Amino acid sequence: MSDKHTPGDDAMIVLDGVSKHYPGQEGPAVAELSMEIKRGEFVVLVGPSGCGKTTTLRMINRLVEPTGGRILIDGEDVTHSDVDRLRHGIGYVIQQIGLLPHLTIADNIALVPKMLGVKKAERRKRAEELLEMVGLAPATYARRYPRQLSGGQQQRVGVARALAADPPVMLMDEPFGAVDPIAREKLQMEFLRLQDRLRKTIVMVTHDIDEALRLGDRIAIFGPGCRLVQFDTPLEILSNPADDFVRDFVGGGAPVRRLSLLKVSDVLASFGPADDAALGRTVPVEAGESVHRALELVLAARAEGVEVALAGGVRRIGLQTLLTAASQPTTVPA
Amino acid sequence: MSLLSYISDNRSDLVFLGEQHVELVLISVAISAAIGIGLALLTQPVPRVRDGLMSLTGTLLTVPSFALFALMIPLFGLGSSPTIVALVVYGIFPILRNTVTGIEGVDDAIIDAARGLGMGPARRMRTVVLPLAWPVILNGIRTSTIMLVATAAIAAVVHGPGLGQLIFQGLARIGGKNALEQTLSGVIGVVVVALLLDLLFIAIAKITTLRGLNV
Amino acid sequence: MSAAAVENVEVSGGRRSVPWLLPLVVVALLVGVWAYVNSLHMDSIETRSLAFDVVATAVWKHIELVVASTILTIAIGVPLGVLLTRPGIGRIGAVFLAVANAGQAVPSIGVLVVLAMLFGVGFWMAVVALVAYALLPVLRNTMVGIRQVDAALIDAGRGMGMSGFRVLTTIELPLAVPVMLAGIRVALILNVGAGTLAAYTNAGGLGSIISSGIALDRMPVLIVGSTLTICLALTVDWLAGLAERVLRPRGI
Repeated sequence: MSDKHTPGDDAMIVLDGVSKHYPGQEGPAVAELSMEIKRGEFVVLVGPSGCGKTTTLRMINRLVEPTGGRILIDGEDVTHSDVDRLRHGIGYVIQQIGLLPHLTIADNIALVPKMLGVKKAERRKRAEELLEMVGLAPATYARRYPRQLSGGQQQRVGVARALAADPPVMLMDEPFGAVDPIAREKLQMEFLRLQDRLRKTIVMVTHDIDEALRLGDRIAIFGPGCRLVQFDTPLEILSNPADDFVRDFVGGGAPVRRLSLLKVSDVLASFGPADDAALGRTVPVEAGESVHRALELVLAARAEGVEVALAGGVRRIGLQTLLTAASQPTTVPA
Repeated sequence: MSLLSYISDNRSDLVFLGEQHVELVLISVAISAAIGIGLALLTQPVPRVRDGLMSLTGTLLTVPSFALFALMIPLFGLGSSPTIVALVVYGIFPILRNTVTGIEGVDDAIIDAARGLGMGPARRMRTVVLPLAWPVILNGIRTSTIMLVATAAIAAVVHGPGLGQLIFQGLARIGGKNALEQTLSGVIGVVVVALLLDLLFIAIAKITTLRGLNV
Repeated sequence: MSAAAVENVEVSGGRRSVPWLLPLVVVALLVGVWAYVNSLHMDSIETRSLAFDVVATAVWKHIELVVASTILTIAIGVPLGVLLTRPGIGRIGAVFLAVANAGQAVPSIGVLVVLAMLFGVGFWMAVVALVAYALLPVLRNTMVGIRQVDAALIDAGRGMGMSGFRVLTTIELPLAVPVMLAGIRVALILNVGAGTLAAYTNAGGLGSIISSGIALDRMPVLIVGSTLTICLALTVDWLAGLAERVLRPRGI
């Protein structure tokens, strides 16, 4: 009965020729899309609006029913299985946040556990645990109502609610879009830290390429005609854009922007530039810092290069040497 | 169809009573409007009094019309007078409320500009605020009118004029010949009057609303 | 009492700030009426018409009318309203509403009398008339209340795996309650008003006292009947306002 899909055993979500046609509309909203998303991977769908990214996302938890193709989650074909049970196992975070205004924060978080029959005391404990995880003190926030929280705080609760039943998969539709820019960056960073800990399989939709580059393990770029144009790591996309569309979409300054995706230690390890003998003043830089950060530090100090402490000893590298090494075509150790 | 034949047989009576009904409603609404708009303007500088008045007239609407009509009898006797007084009382609230809403709804920036031009309060009210608030006020008058059309049907209990008489005459002769047709024609008459007056107001709205607002 | 009249009350709301004012007014009116009656030298007709058990029966009958019709109106209007807002139902809801809206122009006395003529007089026929008359606000407010629930909330609910029924009971209905209560309040007031006229179709109620006052040309009877009716109406409205405040879900 359950259909095991073999290629890539660590594939958590498989879209197999999935398509969506709306009756009365000329072209398809989503045209025969095939994608594999690995277990624990954070995949971001980006592209201009109207390209079916949100439709694709909502087909995974079947809020939109596909008109063609199959969807497999953890090896099981869920295209026609019980839809409510499917959704209990998928966390869903939306742009408008969607907290129920007539329930307390704690009750909002406990919605899915309640449906799954978890007992009251257990639910309360779990809600408090999750509030801690998303950075809201339970004592203060558990009994409040959504309208008493700011947009950023509400979305933290939204994330907590999505994680309540500890689902392996999370779907996020422009989750930080309704939050002001300052809170947004903070939320993104904290979410990344959370993901480092929890390693959920996440599919996120955004129209913001910078957000995608910052958060994604792999990014799926949808281009003209809503085809999937490139599905790669951020570094690959910045270093080797598939075509002009991707290059334009990513925007100017790619060579400099990719520097923030490269660590100093990786660059030194991969390209082994030699120490510069006649180097003037240097600034100390941690091995784990990005090359972009190193650039910032050197410029700020008006120095000539960096000093990095590695396992094999201290290295002193001139700025230009470092940058030249960093701009080599890459494969960064995963 | 006995109803249709009844109506055609008695159409002159029906038309007469219909006209009476319309007259009754329009007179009452006119007085309500004068009082409602007047009170709104007078109490504009004193919002608490104004809100109190709105509460009072609003609460009066919850009073069953039969009771209010009846209470007018010791004061005004039977016939048209108690009817009009009671209808006027009912009609004030929608007009008062809409006048207040309409005036407050005028964009502050426009009023500011008018002040900057050197317009005094009276002139501002006349040339700027009221014309702009007019659609809302007119809608309040329309609401009152439709409301009074149905309420006026009860006037017959105090021997008031209008189509209500048909309803009660039919009731008095319940079981008798044509009693049902008589009542029904009264009810239909009321509905028709309501529709006609509604259309009248749509026409008035079109004609009197300044062109700039409709674009 | 016309439907259009009462609809307008929904928006007034100023009474909220002084919740004790209305009971005070009612008590003052009752005391005033009682003092008035006691100060009169009533003739035999008046004494009979205003005998305590006559008045008490009328009040009680009136309350029965209002309670019975309001309960039935809710029992029919709310489920029907819910049904007409389900996704598969399409435009039937709009048609229902349009018809019901048109019915607003029909005077309550008309409905009462026509039904009585067609089907007979008495308590339960009056209840039918009252239900028909007060159905619109409850039906419309249920539909409006459910429709105005933020679509994002329903999306979040379904995305979480809530079944359609769960979404209705956990999200749509609780959030529609304030609007629904406002509609029920209007229905209550309509019923008190129309219930006053029900006396003309032998259903009893305070209208019978008022009408006998008019028919017998006895002012005291008329005044007592009217004042008691007003007190009943004010009290019912006040209680409904209290219920609105108490039953409104926290956090909205």
